[in-house]
Amino acid sequence: MTPVVRVVGLSATAGSAVLVDDVSFDVVAGEVTALVGASGSGKTTSALALLGEHGDGVRLTGRVEVGGELVVDGNGVTRAAPGVRGRVVAYMPQHPGSALNPARRIGTTLQELAKLHDGDPREAVRAAQLPGDRATLKRFPHQFSGGQRQRVALAQTLTCRPTVLVLDEPSTGLDSITRLQLVHELRDLAATGLGILLLSHDLDLVRALASRVVVLDAGQVIATDVLPPAPDLQLPGTSTAGQPLLTAMNLSASLRPRGRDVVLHEADLAVRAGACLGVVGRSGSGKTTLARCLAGLHERYTGTILLDDEPLPVLRKRSRDQHRRVQYVWQEVRGSFDERRPVDQQVARTAQRLRGLAPDQAHAEAVATLARLGVAAITAARPPSRLSGGELQRAALARAVLANPDVLICDEITTALDDHGTALVVDLLTELKDRGTALIWIGHDLRLVAAVADRVLVLDAGRVVEQGPPATLTTAPRHELTRRLVAATRIGDNPKTPPVHGRVSQPHAYCAAPDGHLAEQERRER
Amino acid sequence: MRSYAAQRAGLAVVQLAVLSVLVFVLTSLLPGDAADLRFTETLTPSQVAALRAELGLDQPPVERFVHWLGNVLTGDLGTSLISGGPVADIVRSSIGATLVLTLATLAIVVPLAVALGIVMGTRENGRVDRAITSVTLALSAIPDFVIAVVLVAVFSLKLGWLPATWIGGSLLSSPALLILPIAVLFGRTVCLLSRQVRAGTVAALNAEYVTQARRLGIPRRQLLLRHVLPNAAVPGVQELARTGDTLLGGVLVVEAIFAIPGFATALVDGVETRDIPTVQGLTLVLAVAALLINLGADLLCNRLVPRSEILR
Repeated sequence: MTPVVRVVGLSATAGSAVLVDDVSFDVVAGEVTALVGASGSGKTTSALALLGEHGDGVRLTGRVEVGGELVVDGNGVTRAAPGVRGRVVAYMPQHPGSALNPARRIGTTLQELAKLHDGDPREAVRAAQLPGDRATLKRFPHQFSGGQRQRVALAQTLTCRPTVLVLDEPSTGLDSITRLQLVHELRDLAATGLGILLLSHDLDLVRALASRVVVLDAGQVIATDVLPPAPDLQLPGTSTAGQPLLTAMNLSASLRPRGRDVVLHEADLAVRAGACLGVVGRSGSGKTTLARCLAGLHERYTGTILLDDEPLPVLRKRSRDQHRRVQYVWQEVRGSFDERRPVDQQVARTAQRLRGLAPDQAHAEAVATLARLGVAAITAARPPSRLSGGELQRAALARAVLANPDVLICDEITTALDDHGTALVVDLLTELKDRGTALIWIGHDLRLVAAVADRVLVLDAGRVVEQGPPATLTTAPRHELTRRLVAATRIGDNPKTPPVHGRVSQPHAYCAAPDGHLAEQERRER
Repeated sequence: MRSYAAQRAGLAVVQLAVLSVLVFVLTSLLPGDAADLRFTETLTPSQVAALRAELGLDQPPVERFVHWLGNVLTGDLGTSLISGGPVADIVRSSIGATLVLTLATLAIVVPLAVALGIVMGTRENGRVDRAITSVTLALSAIPDFVIAVVLVAVFSLKLGWLPATWIGGSLLSSPALLILPIAVLFGRTVCLLSRQVRAGTVAALNAEYVTQARRLGIPRRQLLLRHVLPNAAVPGVQELARTGDTLLGGVLVVEAIFAIPGFATALVDGVETRDIPTVQGLTLVLAVAALLINLGADLLCNRLVPRSEILR
């Protein structure tokens, strides 16, 4: 088998800083090669070199050969590089949703690419598991859900009919059932003869897919074909008896005024000081809306939210102390940072504003908390644009923690983190819990939620379908969704597991209702 | 898209209602009225009072507003207190020149500003960008009347190439008349508009979707025209709406210097003679025009880059 990509001794330098140092790997047609490493280890820099692309002031050297054409040689990027983009190598960025032009109908771009690279948009759309009818092609990106946008971006890359597909963290933000589906789809794509380069810190995904593995650390290859072991996430589930600190009763939330588009139906929950409540469900099941109601950001809700038996108003009516007591960390944090100010200052600000600490005291605490989470002081002194997604997410957590909250709501805060980062986060949260902070941990990865939480709620289509201690849920799940979430935690353990393609999880049924109204679909199909 | 248009149009109706009240209240606040101004020298106070009653000026404001609004809704803008003719006639006679001037200016400024904006945006902080920025900023910084005086002095008086003032007849039949006024209006509009297009281009070029399109092998020219421009045009279109408002409102300096009997001239005349119905009528027409221009601009922007929700 001749490789379609040969990278030999690739280095990337910016001035005196070495970003990637002597990296070599091959991608073979029909197989998946994985570049594994923590965020900031040089995965994306290495992969973009296949396109002859590099950041401002970065110099590439070494030898990169793609589909028989030399893209990078000892003198840097060659003239052949622009010619391979799309045609030979297609790149799927980490957040493909924002890679779609908001001003263009998806069909227009697909046609344009097809004309350029002699591809077939309809076939690509089918391969990306999107409905290929005219109405779909005439829609704009904002008319698709997040998951579908990812598929549109995939259809774009497939329309170019590349020989190599580069996927940058494709499982970020996917719920575990969708992630399992991704595994099957990528296997199918590889089976068509496509060479796939997978960049990921998701070791389960890599175990399930890759036949070649290259482990990067700080820009260097530290291992090939051997995966680092996953750190142990088992935690003692300590629950303290006592009065609930935060209670929500009969909570229903809608997206539009006057109760139209209800996304959360009559949910009840309670969490005590020093306890952790886990909330799991697929994307679109109402997890984030629930969190936003509790955080006071979502105002279209009915029902009661009590903090210490006192009604908790919406955010803009909360007192400073209520602000401090309830903190919320969400998934997409980049927009929540001021791009002009250093991150450490912004983290320190919560302690100044909400706890009245002196600036230097707050700053010292910010730096210490960030360091605990694995974000070095020198990194945190930079503006947000210079931090990776994983570093920013940890900074957002540190920012909330600095308020010294009584209730901390964590909404999918580990999606951009590698196993090491996740372990650091879990470690900090455990300590907070021991100090009496009530945690609400929202996630799609039942295994992680079960390791962190004392009690777990399962949400489906906005309803609480099951709840109980994590041990009970994972060993004796009663609801269909819980069973599937449990099954989906096992993708890495046994790559030969047959697809969980039940009636409900047919790819097309799934695309038609990307927001996972699973219960509703089941009811209809019965 | 359609529901957006409906929402946006609904908002425009509300704005219109608020606006009609504002127009009426503000014009009522003008000190003195037509009876005061014109007849104090020749009439006794009792005769002035009688005249006031005849003109309806002694009615309570709310009643006058209801009466006025009723007339406006049926298309009657009222009667001028000075000329005695309908206000609609004054609108008609003054808006022509302003429209011609506005449209002709835009026809020259828009393509040029878009081209300059793209040229600057694609060469962000390069030499060309700085040069164009300096020139357009300098042009917009010079007051209108200075440019006007210099242009008239050079081209009309010294060289004698172009007429300095309007001397009657249609502006359209003698386009040479338009050249100097447009040249005066050109500087500021082209500067503001090209700055916005430049900013839009820079933002779009740095956006992830353009990076991705480039990675998929879309050539530069196609990238600029089809992927960057629709996004880059949005701030430009909004600026264009503001420019259109200003130009339609009549640029008093230009109208005064070149003796063009346009909208601003009519409005100033109305205020000077305390001809309240005329002032109200002209202001209302202007405000409605501004509303429609902004409505059009918003709908166009929504078509260029559809967004699900804006009215918040």
